[in-house]
Parts: sequence; C-alpha cells; structure tokens
Amino acid sequence: MNVNFNNRDPVYVQVVRHFKEQIATGMLEPGQEIPSRRELANKLKINPNTAQRAYKEMEEAGLIHTERNLPSKITRNEKTLGAVREELIAGAVDSFVAAIRPINVSLDEIVGLIQDKYEMESKEEGGYE
Amino acid sequence: MIEVKNISKKYGRKKVLNGVSFTANKGEITSLIGINGVGKTTILNAIMALTPVNSGEILINNEKINKASYEKITFIPDAITMLPQMTIAEAMQFMQDFYESWNQERATELLGFFKLKGSDKISSLSKGNTAKVNLLLGLALDVDFLLMDEPFSGIDIFSREQIAEVFTSHLIEDRGVIITTHEINDIEHLIDKVILLDEGTVIKEFNTEEVRENEGKSVIDVMREVYRT
Amino acid sequence: MTRFLKLVNFELGRFMKIYLALIGITIISQIAGVIIKSNSYISRANEAIYEDLVPKEEFFATEGLMSVLQVTRSLWFMGPIALCIAALIFYIFFIWYRDWFGKNTFIYRLLMLPTARIQIFLSKGVSILLMVFGFVAIQLMLLPIESVILKWIVPLDYRIDMTAGEIIQNSYLQTLIPSTFIEFVLYYGAGIMAVFIIFTAILFERSFRLKGVLLGAIFVGMTVLVFFSPILIMEIMQTYYLYPIEIFILEIILGLMLISVSIWTSHFLLKKKIAV
Repeated sequence: MNVNFNNRDPVYVQVVRHFKEQIATGMLEPGQEIPSRRELANKLKINPNTAQRAYKEMEEAGLIHTERNLPSKITRNEKTLGAVREELIAGAVDSFVAAIRPINVSLDEIVGLIQDKYEMESKEEGGYE
Repeated sequence: MIEVKNISKKYGRKKVLNGVSFTANKGEITSLIGINGVGKTTILNAIMALTPVNSGEILINNEKINKASYEKITFIPDAITMLPQMTIAEAMQFMQDFYESWNQERATELLGFFKLKGSDKISSLSKGNTAKVNLLLGLALDVDFLLMDEPFSGIDIFSREQIAEVFTSHLIEDRGVIITTHEINDIEHLIDKVILLDEGTVIKEFNTEEVRENEGKSVIDVMREVYRT
Repeated sequence: MTRFLKLVNFELGRFMKIYLALIGITIISQIAGVIIKSNSYISRANEAIYEDLVPKEEFFATEGLMSVLQVTRSLWFMGPIALCIAALIFYIFFIWYRDWFGKNTFIYRLLMLPTARIQIFLSKGVSILLMVFGFVAIQLMLLPIESVILKWIVPLDYRIDMTAGEIIQNSYLQTLIPSTFIEFVLYYGAGIMAVFIIFTAILFERSFRLKGVLLGAIFVGMTVLVFFSPILIMEIMQTYYLYPIEIFILEIILGLMLISVSIWTSHFLLKKKIAV
C-alpha cells in the first residue's frame, strides 16, 4: 500500500478516498479484514490519529464496521458498495467535464475520443479486458 | 497535558522568548516550527527545567516539574546525552539503573528496529546512528510525554525515514510528543498540531487537518503566509 | 539511597583510568626513590668508609643514618604526591565542567534524572573525598612496603628502622595524615567545606555565566570572611577574650554552618537557576 498524499487536502479525506478506490476496483472485497489503525498509520506513514479519524468517517458512512475488539471489515452491504462505485464514477466524470467544458468540444467528439483512448490503452495492456 | 503559560526569557538584554503560551496534549504530536534561532530549543529546555525562565509558568499534568516528573516526561536533545566512551549497552544499563520507567523490552526492540549493536561505542557511531541511540534512550522510557529537538537535522535520508517511521508505530502509542523542526517536509503528514514561532512569540497555532479541511491549505502554505508578511 | 550510591559509583568510574594511572605513578616513583636513594647512600658510604677511610661514626655524624625519612624528602617521593594533589584540585573543577563540554552534553542526563538534583552535587563531593582517602590509604600501605625494600638494600648498622607512624610524624605527610582523630576530622572537615564552597561557586558560574563568576567570587570571599571572623575580629579589636578551645568550637560550628549554607545554596541553584 503506497499512497502519494497531497498536502492541501485533509489526510483523512485522502485515506477515505483511497479506500473507496480500492473497494470500487475490487482490491478490497466485501467482508475483507482491513489493517488496524496503527498498522494503517505505519503503512501510510501518517499520524495514527488521522488513521483513526479516517476509520471513524468510514464507519459512519457504513463502509466498514467493527465488532468489539475484532479487526474492522469492509461492509457486505451491496447498496453501500454500489454507492461507492457510483460516487467515484460521478466524481471522475465531474472533474472531467469541468476540465473539458472550457474547450468547447461537442459531446459526439468527446465520446469518439474516449472510445479511441480506451481501445488504445486496452491494446497497450495486452488485451487485459 | 503540557501547559506553557506566558513564558519569557532573556539572555542578557536579548529577549529570546516573549510571552510564549501553548498547550500540548497527550496522544497528539505537536510541532514547534520556526526559522532557526527563535527559541524552540529554549522552550523545550524550559519545560524540562534545564534553563530558568524570567517569568511565566509551565505545568505538566497540572503540576510544576519536580524530580518525579522525569519518570513521566523526557527530552531527547539534538546531541546525545550519554558519555562518548560508553557502549550502547552501557548507556542502556545506565538508564535502567536510574529510571523506573525504563522499559528494557522496548529498548531491545528498538535496538533491533534501528539495527544497532549494543557492543558499539557511542563515539564510534555515525551521525545517523548516534541520533538513533539518542532516540532509543528516550523512547524506551514509559513516559507520557516526549520532547524531541530537531530529530531529523543533519542526518541521512534513510535514517530520517526510519525515525519518521517511529512516529507512526506503537513506539509512540498514546504519548504526547512535542517536536521542534525547521524542516517540515519529513513530518507534514505526521503532526497534529503546529505552533509557529517568530521572534520569541507564538504567531499562529493550528491543527493541521483542520487547516487542510477548512482552508484547503498545506502547512507550508500557512507558513508562507505568516512568515512572508 | 541506592541511586545516590550508583551516582557516586558512576562518578568514580569516570575518573578511574586517570586515578589508577596516578596511583601507578606514585607507587613506581616512590619505590624507585627508595631503591635509588638507598643505593646511592650505600655507594657514598662505601666510598667514604673504604676508599677515603673516613671513620664510620664520622660518616654517620655528617650524613645521618639511612631511613625512609630520607626518601620522603626527595622528589621521587613528594613529586607524585604533589601530582596527585594537583590532579585532584584540577578535578574539583573538571568534575563539573566535563558535563557541559563537548558535543555529548551529559549534564542534560544528570539534570533529568528522577532524583533530587542536590544528589548530583553530593555525589561529586563524595567522589572527590573518596579519591582523597584512596590516595591516603595507598600511601599508608606503601610506607611499610618501602621500609621492607630499604631493609633489603641497606645493612642493619647503616639504617634506622621506622614504623609508618614515625615516618609520617617526621615528614610533610603529617598534614595529609594527622596523628589524632580530632585533627583528622578538622583537616578533612575543612577540606570538605572548601570543596563544597568551590562547587557552589562553580554552580554560580554555571547558572549566571559571566555574572556568576563575580557572584561565585563574592560567595567564596564571604565564606572565607565568615570562617575566619573570630580570629579576624580578635586581631582587629586586639582583645583576645576567647580561649583557644572556645575558638576551636566556634570554628567547628562556623564550618558546619558554612557547609550547610553551601549545600542549601547549591540546592537552590541546581533547582531554579542552572542552565544547560
């Protein structure tokens, strides 16, 4: 686990985003155990209080749950997990649109470009999909 | 909690500290930041009663410092506090002889963590390893508060990384840490609280996550604003 | 208490190498002195008696009989003692300043020990005292050994055999090793007082630096004045209304008082004013 944090967003927000990405991409599976706060802090080289804060946020959002002293686990709730994926996609689309709108490109053109790009990258990765 | 209340200190006519006040909590890493020569080290010395102040008061868990306090709070200065002719093992033995809060198990663990050899003489160690021994001697005490003076200065990058790792590990646990530095890069994501000093006073005190969340600024952004104006 | 003893032990250990070297120099030099002085006496005696045909009695009348006493007056004997004294006087200062000097500032560690800081002061004082006693003890053990060596070299009718006690009483050694218990207590009591007062002056310097040098000097001056005040007052007034025994008791009381003042002042300085 290696995350490059930026200095201007709260670290805990970046940690939560990192977890969401991992959940959305299937790196973290439903019900999978996640590291303790201390382990996470150590792995990401962040303040343990920040790791604690991130876990608290995720718990409140229902992304993870902790039973007494057992390790925290990723939720199995399909709805929450689906929402994470949608949220990430929506976020990416938002920033893409915000970046592309000032250039005045038509929707058809964009879709075409995206299609080309996708196919090219798939080929480069040796037909990964 | 460490409460520094309105302390002032003069060296001759020069005022080094001019009404410095702040608090540092247990379980938090508080960083005293300032361009060199703003009295950071003097503040740590004053907290440990290693130098007198002209006015003001310092409380550690609501008490003035006394001999028993040294089992609860320790200070890791930027130079090693043991005799150069001692071996690391002898230095550890010295600590064990005098401190009830010495945790031999943790000391041994740290020795391994830092890849140090007990039989090595302190005078024969590299700068980085000397800093690690210095850190070890402080970290192996079961104290509530740890003060560190520039633990990253003048040592190689790998030693710095290793020392930074300590902060995120169980070695710090729920202790309160005050660390002075003039180089923020190594620890920006590690610290909870920043106290910016200039000309002997606290010019800004903030929580790092709060300033990122509410103002979208990095610690360096805030420093730039404060020191450039 | 155990921590105090550990501190004393630690302080002794820090000077032990030099201390043992000084003891080694003393032993070698004094024994060499006995051998050299004895041999030269014998060769002088032989030369006078057998070559110049001076009668034995006349030789003894001018040269005296050989004894350890003759050796004690030589540089071989007094030299190393002077060296040891000089080293200890130097160390009275260095025992403090070494903690501040160099990159390794051991004073941080000492001041951060979870013990009353006055224990640092007392442990250094006790260390100095123990080292003095150590030297004296070595000297006491050396004297009989030196007598034996002298006996091996010098024939019976050329020498006077003396006990260690006799040697001490007839040489400078009597200042170091007084013959009565009272004198012993007095000499060493005054010594302890002097060491403590110098320590306090050093702590003034360490607390206030340049200003402290002045304060320390004033402190030393005051203590000297107070200690000798009974004698000074009588000299100035030209009235000698106290018996020697009364002055003696007064001096003991003043000495104890000054030791207390010195300890109390040092306690205050270490607690409130000392700076690393």
